[in-house]
Amino acid sequence: MKRTIIPFGPQHPVLPEPLVLDLILEDERVVDAVPTIGYIHRGLEMMVERVEYTEMGFVAERICGICSFMHGMGYCVSLEAIMNVEVPERARWLRIIWAEISRVQSHLLWLGLGADAFGFENLFMHCWRMREEILDIFEKTTGGRIIHSVNRIGGVKRDVSDAELAAIVVKLEELGKAFEKTANVFGKDPSIRHRLSGVGVLSADDARAVDAVGPMARASGVVMDTRLSGTYGYDQVDFEPVTETAGDCLARVVVRMREVQQSIGLVRQAVEKMPKGEGMPLENKPRGNPVGETYTRLEQPRGEVLYYVKANGTKNLERFRARTPTFANIPAMIKLVRGCDLADVPNIILTIDPCISCTER
Amino acid sequence: MSFFSKSPWILHYDASSCNGCDIEVLACLTPLYDVERFGVVNTGNPKHADILLITGSVNERNIDIIENLYRQMPDPKVVVAVGACACSGGIFARAYNIQGGIDKVLPVDVYVPGCAARPESIIDGVIKGIGALEMKRKKSA
Amino acid sequence: MDREAFLARVGEYHKEGRRLALINVTTLVPAAAPAHGAKPEAAATEASVGETAAPDQFEITWVFENDKDATLEKIREQVGPADIIPSISEFFGAAFLYENEIHELFGLNVEGINLDLQGQLYKTATKVPFSHAAVKARLEALAAKTAAAAEAKATTEAKA
Repeated sequence: MKRTIIPFGPQHPVLPEPLVLDLILEDERVVDAVPTIGYIHRGLEMMVERVEYTEMGFVAERICGICSFMHGMGYCVSLEAIMNVEVPERARWLRIIWAEISRVQSHLLWLGLGADAFGFENLFMHCWRMREEILDIFEKTTGGRIIHSVNRIGGVKRDVSDAELAAIVVKLEELGKAFEKTANVFGKDPSIRHRLSGVGVLSADDARAVDAVGPMARASGVVMDTRLSGTYGYDQVDFEPVTETAGDCLARVVVRMREVQQSIGLVRQAVEKMPKGEGMPLENKPRGNPVGETYTRLEQPRGEVLYYVKANGTKNLERFRARTPTFANIPAMIKLVRGCDLADVPNIILTIDPCISCTER
Repeated sequence: MSFFSKSPWILHYDASSCNGCDIEVLACLTPLYDVERFGVVNTGNPKHADILLITGSVNERNIDIIENLYRQMPDPKVVVAVGACACSGGIFARAYNIQGGIDKVLPVDVYVPGCAARPESIIDGVIKGIGALEMKRKKSA
Repeated sequence: MDREAFLARVGEYHKEGRRLALINVTTLVPAAAPAHGAKPEAAATEASVGETAAPDQFEITWVFENDKDATLEKIREQVGPADIIPSISEFFGAAFLYENEIHELFGLNVEGINLDLQGQLYKTATKVPFSHAAVKARLEALAAKTAAAAEAKATTEAKA
């Protein structure tokens, strides 16, 4: 049979970001896909040569604008580990709260983009309308909608008053109730089910074989969540990773929908358990220059992120490497695209929740 | 700019942005900000577009794509550079793979500052872009 | 590096059901190169990491993760620019992205990648941006610039 090669991307209506796949087709069936990236590669890891370690956190935040809080947090946690800085308790809880709110934000964003990709523009609008409420919370508490810059090595820059935290919980729970309606559409609408269920199935064994992470792995029934290890204060909240077993596109949507509700619950728990009061310490400033190396793992909205930081006692780090969740999920994506129908390619690519600027840095 | 003789369509391309400005551009289309009330529609096809909205800076690989997209757009056309990276390279200006702002390759009509640029300023930039488009159209007529 | 022993160990990790978490390369720049903002006394007393750096060496680390107890297992080697590094993509299919990346950014030769993109993954403007020559050139340019700025500042102050 004659083979056709169709380039997919870098500028494509369903892709918010440039990614190129050369799809090799036999009829309507994709037999192979060759990825080409590099359209966003900036050379961020080299920035350690120019930027001092105290300021590198702001560069790290700009690895990706969607999980910017988590990237800043990951960088600061790494430096805290190297420099033996203890983070004050309230600051640790505030980090958990912001991290979980940014997970809600990211999942709502993705659910909208996913809905747009399978041709449900109305749902896209609803998800993004709800997301704006989360951004309002961010703007009120950190000062920024996208880039927050509240993480410091040794703590956080700003406090959020107890009254405001209580108001945030109320607002999030209202949002959670409103989201149930939208979630019903995702889960029950017959046209969505037709479009997604049984498409792009990744079995649990395959998910392990290609080292998938995050919602991608959990939708295939692999229990894997860095928060389970209980670091950075997650040992003090009740938490059960969300898993599904079907492993198809619909399961990946459902996992993220359930995680929205789970994260709202985690914010409520954190607000209940954190120490109350005004003027509590928020930051222990590090002294001197860092020496040593560390590996830090965090659970981002898209999955596990791993930072490697190596410092040599100067103001500039020797090496900063971020292995982002999409980087780990691209092999899974290529595996799924092989053998699927051409019309399903956009949905499969979107359900891994690709973040290309994370991947390429 | 007193009236719009037609609805300008926007083509959005993510050059090497960190996604921050990108999602703010998308946020402009959604219910809270809703640029469609100005008759602006986001299109995926450069041949239908009047305004090229670029986020992020020029790097080695996307330089051809940016030029290609611009060439495919019909005249008159306007380029709006959104965010610090698109204006000058921003925080990444000295990174090895960044060549600089969009004005290295395309004639930029409107610069929208900010990291990330706020939806209000993006809308402002688009409206200024519509003004520039009107002027270009009058000149060419 | 001992190729056979290395691959046997990787195979063992694969059998244990570990996950490939990261392959990282660090360009080891000898202390003679001008380190920006360096504090010599701190570097001399506490340079516990990479103190054995011979000229023009890379440090390459394979990190494997166990999901059950979240432990990291590392294999660390020092290699030169001409050494050939065996690909581990026959055990860990996901390794091809890392391996293509280290070939392109660090100029290391990785043998037997299951999806070899021939140095076309990122297509960077600076070829091999993390090679020793490139890193040294950047650091020297930066040091020269800092020195020039300091000198200019000194002259303006002297004039005033």
